[in-house]
Amino acid sequence: MELLKLENVYKIYSLGEENIAAINGISLLINKGDFVALIGPSGSGKSTAMNLIGCLDIASKGNMYLNGLNIQNLPESNLAQIRGKKIGFIFQTFNLIPSLDALENVALPMTFQNVPRPIRIKRAKELLKQVGLADRIYHLPNQLSGGQKQRVAIARSLINDPDIILADEPTGNLDTKTGDEIMNILVDLNKKGKTIILVTHNHELTKLANKIITLKDGKAMEAQ
Amino acid sequence: MFTDYFLLSLKSIRHRKLRSWLTVIGIVIGVAAIISLMTLSRSLENTIEDQFETFGANRILISAKGFHGPGSLSQGLTTEDAETIKKISGFEYVISGIFRSAEVRYKNEIGFTIIGGIPSEMYEEFYGDTGIEIEGGRNIREDEKYVAIIGSRVATDMFEKDVHVGDKIEIAQQEFRVVGILEEIGNAQDDNQISISLDAAREIFDEEESIDLIIAQVKSTSDIPQLQEKIEKELERKRGDTNFQVLTASQILEQINQILGIMQIVLVGIAAISLIVGAIGIMNSMYTSVLERTKEIGIMKAIGAQNKDILTIFLIESGLIGLVGGIIGTILGTSLALAVGPFSKSAGFTLNITIEPLVIILGLLFAFCVGIIAGVLPAWQASRLKPIDALRYE
Ligand SMILES: Nc1ncnc2c1ncn2[C@@H]1O[C@H](COP(=O)(O)OP(=O)(O)OP(=O)(O)O)[C@@H](O)[C@H]1O
Ligand SMILES: [Mg+2]
Repeated sequence: MELLKLENVYKIYSLGEENIAAINGISLLINKGDFVALIGPSGSGKSTAMNLIGCLDIASKGNMYLNGLNIQNLPESNLAQIRGKKIGFIFQTFNLIPSLDALENVALPMTFQNVPRPIRIKRAKELLKQVGLADRIYHLPNQLSGGQKQRVAIARSLINDPDIILADEPTGNLDTKTGDEIMNILVDLNKKGKTIILVTHNHELTKLANKIITLKDGKAMEAQ
Repeated sequence: MFTDYFLLSLKSIRHRKLRSWLTVIGIVIGVAAIISLMTLSRSLENTIEDQFETFGANRILISAKGFHGPGSLSQGLTTEDAETIKKISGFEYVISGIFRSAEVRYKNEIGFTIIGGIPSEMYEEFYGDTGIEIEGGRNIREDEKYVAIIGSRVATDMFEKDVHVGDKIEIAQQEFRVVGILEEIGNAQDDNQISISLDAAREIFDEEESIDLIIAQVKSTSDIPQLQEKIEKELERKRGDTNFQVLTASQILEQINQILGIMQIVLVGIAAISLIVGAIGIMNSMYTSVLERTKEIGIMKAIGAQNKDILTIFLIESGLIGLVGGIIGTILGTSLALAVGPFSKSAGFTLNITIEPLVIILGLLFAFCVGIIAGVLPAWQASRLKPIDALRYE
């Protein structure tokens, strides 16, 4: 089943006189349940593509469909809703809120969806347990290791049960062993049916994917 | 949902304790200044009005030009003028008085103060109508000459040893017996005065005819304007000059209120300036706080926060900082004003500090609003950031 479709999408930055096409006409299709590996050299546009798919940024040209809905020209408030409900982000730098403990970081996306507190807390506890952090729920981010922070981020990305998980180099800041543990969690999630797009420089990790998209100078090449 | 955002704001404030406190201090100073200054100026106004009531609203004062209260040298009024005024109907009584400064001795100690002399038979009315109580001893009686009633500070402060009823004091080398001590009136001038009979005063100051002050007590307050005019006309006719002035209590009160009004404008001006400084402090601090947390805003947007959510969180935060600053500032400001009370007493002017609820409510409301307003601009800016730009901010 078709989940995400990009049709001839461009992202052009104008720096004074010069125009840089970070995404230079990409069309691609991602189905529900896919595990997509997005690879390519540095500066090829991987992060830019992820930001467009995640509705953090708006494409200069082209159409993007999520679940058949054209999201290209939606206002910011609708995009925020989509980010909150349909998309889960996992970043290389974890991006947790420093003033909130693990539990509240995980529960925060539900706060923005007006879910009552008891339900939020219950769900957040379940997810933290699922990523193996049941004994760290009241720790602040600066009291957690890198791997633990990324687990919190994964739990957070799952709390609103999104259609798609976007992970931009999630193991980039972690050692190999910790990185493998994080990847195992992602593989597990994919087995349970979550669609995942993973940006990585590690070719080993592409073996986990059922679809590999290689970006080069803002253009995409696809391999199964 | 509001509670959730309230808790989020609270956690964020607590997380950056130092910065939050610095911001709070800015608003505390502003609010404390405005509350204490407003309380003080209101109290000053009330106190002076109270003082005036003791002076007597039903009195017309006649003095020579340039006479501005006891102590200043005056020339020109004589017993003849007092007789002129007595002939006008509408007065309860007319008192002629001499007010001069003189050397006072008590047990080999020398002091220097104002001596007031009015006819001894007038003392009952004089203190009766002003409501000033004689705390120790009794009033001066008719036909008594070398007796004195002393102000409360003469009794306790002027000399090393306290002066008691029955003690002998020497005024301008003449011995007097203290028969009464007045209650504390609240201003240094009245409390340091010694009252004696007019006859005795004439003797020690060697004045046969001249008078410093004529106090005319009217029967009915509503007659004051006409009587004032009449006095002026009659005196001018009899004397053939205008070398005197006729003042009523309300006129003097008006003059004082004018001065007080200017003082109030200055005080409130100073307070307003400090509050503006406080507001700018909050704004600056909110602004930095928003800049520092640009990435956090990006994160919140990435996980589904809408612009209005961000705006709400930041507004609660700045409102809270304003309110906390307001509460601390109010407490500080009122205690500051209250502390001035005893301080003013030792300086000779008893200021009755009245804490007005309106001032406190205004102070709190103001602080809260300043907090919100100072937070609006940076919060609005923060909420409008593009998610990706906020997220990329380092
Ligand atoms: N805000 C921007 N303004 C101008 N150019 C930009 C901006 N963001 C990205 N670019 C350019 O777009 C291109 C793609 O950047 P992007 O971050 O997507 O690369 P990437 O594939 O994620 O690289 P890496 O593997 O190093 O993370 C780069 O050439 C970059 O310089
Ligand atoms: Mg990148």
